[in-house]
Amino acid sequence: MRAYIAGRLATAVLVILGVSVVSFFLTFLTGDPAEIMLPPGATAAQIEKFRAEWGFDDPLFVQYWRFLKRAVHGDFGISLRHGQQSLPLIAARLPATLQLTVTAMLLAIALAVPLGVLAATHRGGPIDLLAMGVALVGQSVPNFWLAIMMILLFAVSWGLLPTSGRGGFAHVVMPAAAIAINLMALLTRLVRSTMIEMLSEDYVRTARAKGLRELFVTSRHALPNALIPLVTVVGLQFGYILGGAVVIETIFTWPGVGLFTIQAILNRDYPVVQASVFILATAVVLINLTVDLLYVWLDPRIRVT
Amino acid sequence: MNPRTLTRRDALRVLGLTAAAAGLHGGAPAVAAPSGEAKIGLAAEPNTFDPHLTVGRNTQIFIANVYDGLTARDVQGNLVPALAESWKRLNANIWQFALRKGVKFHNGDDFNADSVKFTLDRATNPETKATISSELSTIAGTEIGDPYTVNVVTKTPDFLLPVRLGELFGLMLSPKHTNAAGKEAIAIKPNGTGPFKLATWAKNERLVLEANESYWRGAPKVKTIVVRPILEDAARVAALQAGEVDLIAPIPHVRIAELQRNDKLVIKTIAAPRIFHVTIDVRKPPFDNVKVRQALNYAVDVNTILKTLYFGHGTRLATVVDKGALGYDPSVQPYPYDPSKAKALLAEAGYPNGFEVEFDSFTGSIADHSKPAEAIMGYLQKVGIRAKANVFEFSSFGPRRVQNRTAPLFIYSIGNAYLEPSWVIRWMTQGGLGMHYKNAKLDELLTRIEATDDPRKRAPQYTEVQKLIKDEAPFIFLYQADAAFGMSARVDYTPRPDETQWLYPLGLKG
Repeated sequence: MRAYIAGRLATAVLVILGVSVVSFFLTFLTGDPAEIMLPPGATAAQIEKFRAEWGFDDPLFVQYWRFLKRAVHGDFGISLRHGQQSLPLIAARLPATLQLTVTAMLLAIALAVPLGVLAATHRGGPIDLLAMGVALVGQSVPNFWLAIMMILLFAVSWGLLPTSGRGGFAHVVMPAAAIAINLMALLTRLVRSTMIEMLSEDYVRTARAKGLRELFVTSRHALPNALIPLVTVVGLQFGYILGGAVVIETIFTWPGVGLFTIQAILNRDYPVVQASVFILATAVVLINLTVDLLYVWLDPRIRVT
Repeated sequence: MNPRTLTRRDALRVLGLTAAAAGLHGGAPAVAAPSGEAKIGLAAEPNTFDPHLTVGRNTQIFIANVYDGLTARDVQGNLVPALAESWKRLNANIWQFALRKGVKFHNGDDFNADSVKFTLDRATNPETKATISSELSTIAGTEIGDPYTVNVVTKTPDFLLPVRLGELFGLMLSPKHTNAAGKEAIAIKPNGTGPFKLATWAKNERLVLEANESYWRGAPKVKTIVVRPILEDAARVAALQAGEVDLIAPIPHVRIAELQRNDKLVIKTIAAPRIFHVTIDVRKPPFDNVKVRQALNYAVDVNTILKTLYFGHGTRLATVVDKGALGYDPSVQPYPYDPSKAKALLAEAGYPNGFEVEFDSFTGSIADHSKPAEAIMGYLQKVGIRAKANVFEFSSFGPRRVQNRTAPLFIYSIGNAYLEPSWVIRWMTQGGLGMHYKNAKLDELLTRIEATDDPRKRAPQYTEVQKLIKDEAPFIFLYQADAAFGMSARVDYTPRPDETQWLYPLGLKG
């Protein structure tokens, strides 16, 4: 087990390094920030001078080496735009993003599990149809559109929720719902199909044969086993949720990592982009690792020796 | 120059100066202490409060609220005294500023000649890596005459220096505080002389300004101003509609008419000094032929573009001189939309069947350039000019301009923050960044204008410049778009023509 974890950790480091290389070159290939940083009246000569001062005229691999040497010490450089160390800037925004994504995830699970179970136990009936209809809509609707519709309805027309920004619990409802909707749809279908599978398993038949009540059979025998694949999917989806959070954080001006990163990308603020990629990649890798280990613990059948 | 315009501008200037003089020297009448709280939603927030490391207009137009420059602009856009009470040119390369006495920074430090020298030395010191250094590159040094007199020496004559050292690039720092606090602290904890103090700032969340009650112009009317960045247009408008904020800027053009119908809101528009144009590479045939360049101008129906893409919220420009700029002459009429004239000119130039050309545009900059570019290409097609569209991301288009790898036609816009045509035209004829038009006569006219210190004497000289540029047509002349501000009925605010979000005069009714 220890060797397994060590191996996985080594892979994780390679993955993070790989992501950093790719993101570094991708952002640089699309231009440097000289023209964005300087006032509009800057001449070509002044732009060149600026690029030389900041080292943007060095070959890319030289710049990458410089970046890597500092990065191993946790120094991602001073943000070009904010004039402050970029790693703490990103880290300071992590709680907001976690609040949003975790709320979204819990919301999605809280809706998807009962909906999926009901659909499975009433397979083919109107409840199933309704649940699958909700899932279809939830998976097809673009979340940015949903976000703006929610703002118009809940904030402008009915005045129930704040339009944007972060504050109390009311602020998190709409952005979390906008992120949750796609995941909720996906999980509903997943829970439904695994439940249908479980309900036809031998041990369920045995349980029923023992004369246990159907509710007990469903909730104590079938459901816990049906939830195991849910753990994997939720873990894997976390990366997508972070991706979705970029859009939703921008619409709601939610002061999280996603919003900050997208601004950094648009402004070619490389130190911040790199710090953010590092933090997000690390978060995704760690969560996937945790899920894998959790899975081993939950399902003895795949326990490695 | 149309005499009517000259009179109007002059009248405004006189009014502005009188108002300023009354406010500044007349011993401001006792005003009520600042009270109340105003909430504002803006599309962007400053990147820093360090005036030398600002990035983009969104920062420069905002941080003036906590600082002051040596000069300032009034609501009409006229240059007025601020931390300097007066200024004059001692000789071609020396500007002398007489400083205001008794002004204090927020922390109590005195403002004096030392502050000016320290600030300008810091801005021009390569170690500062100032983002704005290009705008102050004419400065050779600053000499202190006495505690309230400074001479700024320039490397070459710079008639725009008093404008540069205003709210744009001349915001003043306290030497003691800046040295003690360090660079990273200045970015988030500014210490200026301006009408507001920065109380708190959570990036991407909110920024709180508190009234500086001992401001030298008199305390501002509102005690607290909460500024929220609301990036998404729809969310920003929604925040105003829901009453969460009292003032928003900007409003997308497509929403203006709808919001104007809402009687709880007041919508004010102002012509923003951003000049849209298509640069023509005059070195490359067929664009070395002035008839072809004029044909391009006749071919594009700019008024329809304004009507459809901007819902009428814009101003057609005859040249690259914008409406709010010094010496703008409305008697220089824009090229009319006349496709048959365009075809005739193309035939005269030897292109009866038109030609093919590449046309660059980009997305992701401060304003939309790709949609107008599409429309323009459509109009060119109609007269036989088949344009091949290249659409770039703004930050990858930048390096192409620096390396002069732009297509023979590319759309661009420049914000005339100085409100001075010569600044724009010099930049647009620099012989780099894809702009290669040169004209000895134009240079001569501009040199003469730049040697004239008095704006009232400069203004009429720009008429000849505008006529010449229009005839030479080194650009497809387009328009300037309006900037729209939305406010609740309880807010009293007038936007300024140079885009500065100057909150000092903002008031609350009732």
